[in-house]
Amino acid sequence: MDKVLMKGNEAIAEAAIRAGCRHFFGYPITPQTEISAYMARRMPKIGGTFLQAESEVAAINMVYGAAGAGVRAMTSSSSPGISLKSEGISYIAGADLPCVIVNIVRAGPGLGGIQPAQSDYFQAVKGGGHGDYRMIVVAPSSIQEIVDSTFLAFDLADKYRMPVMLMGDGMLGQMMEPVAFPDTTGVKLPEKEWATTGTKKMRKPNIINSLYIQPDELEALIKNRWKKYIEIEQNEVRFEAEGTEDAEIILVAYGATARIVKAAIKKARENGIKAGLIRPITLWPFPSDVISAAAKKVKAILCVEMSMGQMVEDVRLSAAGACPVHFYGRTGGVVPIPADVYDEIRRYV
Amino acid sequence: MAYNLKEAVKRPERLTGGHRMCAGCGAPVVVRTILRAIKPEDHAVIGSATGCLEVSTCLYPYTAWKDSFIHSAFENAGATISGAEAAYNVMKKKGKIKGDIKFIAFGGDGGTYDIGLQSLSGAMERGHDMVYVCYDNGAYMNTGIQRSSATPTFADTTTSPAGSVIPGKTQLKKDLTLIMANHNIPYVAQSAPIGNFKDLHEKAEKAIYTPGAAFLNVMAPCPRGWRYDTPMLMQICKLAVDTCIWPLFEVENGKYKVNYKPKNKLPVEEFLKVQGRFRHMFKKGNEWMIEKFQKDIDEKWEMLLKLEG
Repeated sequence: MDKVLMKGNEAIAEAAIRAGCRHFFGYPITPQTEISAYMARRMPKIGGTFLQAESEVAAINMVYGAAGAGVRAMTSSSSPGISLKSEGISYIAGADLPCVIVNIVRAGPGLGGIQPAQSDYFQAVKGGGHGDYRMIVVAPSSIQEIVDSTFLAFDLADKYRMPVMLMGDGMLGQMMEPVAFPDTTGVKLPEKEWATTGTKKMRKPNIINSLYIQPDELEALIKNRWKKYIEIEQNEVRFEAEGTEDAEIILVAYGATARIVKAAIKKARENGIKAGLIRPITLWPFPSDVISAAAKKVKAILCVEMSMGQMVEDVRLSAAGACPVHFYGRTGGVVPIPADVYDEIRRYV
Repeated sequence: MAYNLKEAVKRPERLTGGHRMCAGCGAPVVVRTILRAIKPEDHAVIGSATGCLEVSTCLYPYTAWKDSFIHSAFENAGATISGAEAAYNVMKKKGKIKGDIKFIAFGGDGGTYDIGLQSLSGAMERGHDMVYVCYDNGAYMNTGIQRSSATPTFADTTTSPAGSVIPGKTQLKKDLTLIMANHNIPYVAQSAPIGNFKDLHEKAEKAIYTPGAAFLNVMAPCPRGWRYDTPMLMQICKLAVDTCIWPLFEVENGKYKVNYKPKNKLPVEEFLKVQGRFRHMFKKGNEWMIEKFQKDIDEKWEMLLKLEG
């Protein structure tokens, strides 16, 4: 399999196309606009649809429409745009529709900046939109993993009939690395019997809806959906663990930050500090069990994020007081450097 | 007093130099001309939608604006200025504020024709005493040239790439000025920075000093997105007007007036050929594109003349 040098944003777009996505609805916002531009170039050539909406609100609702028709649909944006899409995401979750939403996170709140950040963790995993719902959130750490995660995101969305978010950041979106794409020729996409594709008078109509006026009915529906969420928590947790066996301190970081943390851990090991890494790949479902088990064996956990501390709350819930959980974060578009993370490690061992 | 450029430019600049807009960009020329129409003794509150103008003129803590400046998001300059004007009215009524304050919102075509249309429409319909100015450069230039509903047919952008399958943008440009005229507000006008800026200056003056809501749609060429050499800015504006691609007209209390009817209406090629975004239209076999473009422009021009009656 030949490798090609690709920008993160373009790799997402190419991977989505190879995963069978032929319907993409975009809207410009830095630092993810290359996804739209790539789709605009490629889709017409392969008989797909690239559509630039008049707003993020419109784009997510176009995804709602396409997903309801049973096709693999995707939209992408960056933080302020995801806020606008949040209403639509909630509706899609409430209507049990599969789709992929890409968030190439930039610093907020408000217009914030255009540099990388991880300050949308809460929005992604705790529900940026209203209502009782969950969204699978996949957070790759390299361009190759971006490619693999894009395939995974579409598969999980279809499997569980729910929105899946692919969460990167301005650094991953803009950087280039060599990537290989899996061969997808002959791969058949799953049938979607629930899709509203016309009955041709052969079956009962399929109905897609998120409005239930009767409280009992709505509660039953949500409780049923929650069973699916529990199944996901049991089966779909993904993480990377490195050097955790003998570790005296465990670092927890995801996405681009994990790459920086790895460099700091290497330096720590060279200096005789036994440091390890747990890198959540799925932010929801969160790898609570592995963190919980690690917390019982180490002196401390250090969570590093490009935010003021969002994932650290889930790390603390997982550690449940078994060891102290410290936090180091840079935000506003400032990227932490390995030397600073190393200094933090030394503070706690 | 009759308009005189030499006199007009004696007024102190309200958008100062040192901002970061590109050389050859139409937007700051448009903004400065409009702001010159404000009486020097009057204050202004300026709102700007997200866009080139906003990010290049007000990078905190630096600002090129002498007047009060508000930026909120991409889709809501109309609403933000509505709120400021509503607050001002109450404060004035209670005697908490003195002097005349003018309220002006600026938005690009992405923030006006597309995502900001709802907020603009609401502001105009409620009739706030404000002016909304769209500086129309026909694409999302700030994010790197994506098509908008103001992008002309066949223009090459990063999300309407001209190639073997599609011929650039396939849809027509939305006619926002007429949409706004149909809000039945006191003053709507379409202008461009040409000649001695008389047309734009006078329209800005009318818009600012007419009580109630007013809308200005002003062509503001973009050298990056349109692909022209920077010194050609003024020439391109003139060609847009002389080909009737961008007619100068105004709608005052429902009455249409076409302000400039070229004696010698130029063929659209004159405007198209000086811009790289239309280069593919001149390739062999693409003659139909120019013919269609000409036909669309002719129809719109005739319609405008009929509206004038």
